[in-house]
Amino acid sequence: MANELQLSREEAAKWKGGNGALSGAGGDFWIGVLAGRARAFSSGGTAAQPSYDHAGPAVRPGDELNGLLREQAKIRKQFAGLLDGTGIGRGAGSLKPDLYWELLNADDVAVATLGASYSRNSGGNVQAADTFYYASGGYYVTLTLHQMWPVDVNGKPHTLIWRGDMVSSASLADLHGVEKLGSESAMMKDIAKSIALFRRESAH
Amino acid sequence: MVPRYFSRHLLAATFLTAATGSFASDFWPAEYSFEETYVGEASVSRGPHHVQDFDESDTLLRLILTPRVKLGVLRLGFQYEQFSFGLSENAPLPNTLQSVAAVIGIDTQFSDSILVRLETTPGVYSEAFRPGSNVFNMPFEIGGIYIYNPDLQFVVGVSVDVERKYPVFPGGGIRWKFQPRWVLNAVLPTPRLEFEWNKNLTLYAGATLKETNFRMSDDFGREHGIPKLDHAVLTYSEVRAGGGIDWKVTSWLSVNAEAGYQPYRNFDFYRASIRFHEDGSAPYGMIALHGAF
Repeated sequence: MANELQLSREEAAKWKGGNGALSGAGGDFWIGVLAGRARAFSSGGTAAQPSYDHAGPAVRPGDELNGLLREQAKIRKQFAGLLDGTGIGRGAGSLKPDLYWELLNADDVAVATLGASYSRNSGGNVQAADTFYYASGGYYVTLTLHQMWPVDVNGKPHTLIWRGDMVSSASLADLHGVEKLGSESAMMKDIAKSIALFRRESAH
Repeated sequence: MVPRYFSRHLLAATFLTAATGSFASDFWPAEYSFEETYVGEASVSRGPHHVQDFDESDTLLRLILTPRVKLGVLRLGFQYEQFSFGLSENAPLPNTLQSVAAVIGIDTQFSDSILVRLETTPGVYSEAFRPGSNVFNMPFEIGGIYIYNPDLQFVVGVSVDVERKYPVFPGGGIRWKFQPRWVLNAVLPTPRLEFEWNKNLTLYAGATLKETNFRMSDDFGREHGIPKLDHAVLTYSEVRAGGGIDWKVTSWLSVNAEAGYQPYRNFDFYRASIRFHEDGSAPYGMIALHGAF
């Protein structure tokens, strides 16, 4: 089993060898991992997520999410009302999440992820939080926050959207100086591209 | 649904990392390098005049702090470089060229697609710090990177040095990750073709272009039989071509080893119209320690 895979020791111990692809024994293994982690999230939020520790120092998804938010105190304060009701960086919250899984391409490697979305409408101001609280590789966790306000532009109703994206990844620690600036630029471009695509599709 | 694509550079993005954030709050981030190159015996000539069979040692030491500020990433530090040539006493060339300079610069974002570096290296570029050669100079460079996507970037820049024959010198290149493990990093002064063997080991083939201006001492010319070279400016340039490996030992230490050939070398006292160029090349070997934290 590749050391790059982000699993707990208990999960890794269930691996019976063979092809790791999502077919046959490999598929059964990954279904077990994903289902187990989704159940743990439902019952105990990210605090209940097993660490990534099968091949190195333990990395706890809940700690990573809390670390991201700690670095952005203003954002954390702005979204405190929403986040306090979620399982993001804590135990299961009072809000009911929409749970999902996705298979992504992360640095040319297939990565299985588990996600949860929350939203809250408070007097017309909508806040939303979307997290990948598990990834089999590539990065540890992500968190995307949205705040939406109804606005009037030239007499027509529109929505003003603020969005913040946070990523925690081992590869971030390897980047310094201009490399980190370049990565930020690349990420901003990618997000801007997805926003433009979303606006184009939603205009029809 | 919009497909999501995470490249390493995209992931390596952000002001929001727990890993680096906690570290940076304790220390100023920095990058460093120590490099030693030995070039075997070779010769240069100027018409019928030959300077034969001398070797070269090039030592480079650089430490740059890279704190993050609102405008971007500051670059504050120093660099020291020494060229030592195994020349005979009568040779009309300097045995030692030394420079010590501060590094003052900034990397900043003009937009989501354009990064800009402004950097100057004020210091002394001298003939072994001898009297008269310790004249202050302040070359600087302005460069821009256009990020087309995480795999393709274009670089343009200009280097300015009033002591140079052509004070303004343009440069640039392209960085293109055209296969998952192959990168064409064709950016001056170190164009390379890189192959990522694994996460910690990169193999490459490429070249290193060097050109620096040094001031000779007040009596250099008289001591070497060419009086008009007293206090002259020497542009020393060389090209090395070879292959190497870069091994990332830890997150803050990499070891780089390289070997190849030096096909071009030039000692140009351009204001005095005296120039010695290569007359036979030599192999070289280089070892370097570098990293960032």
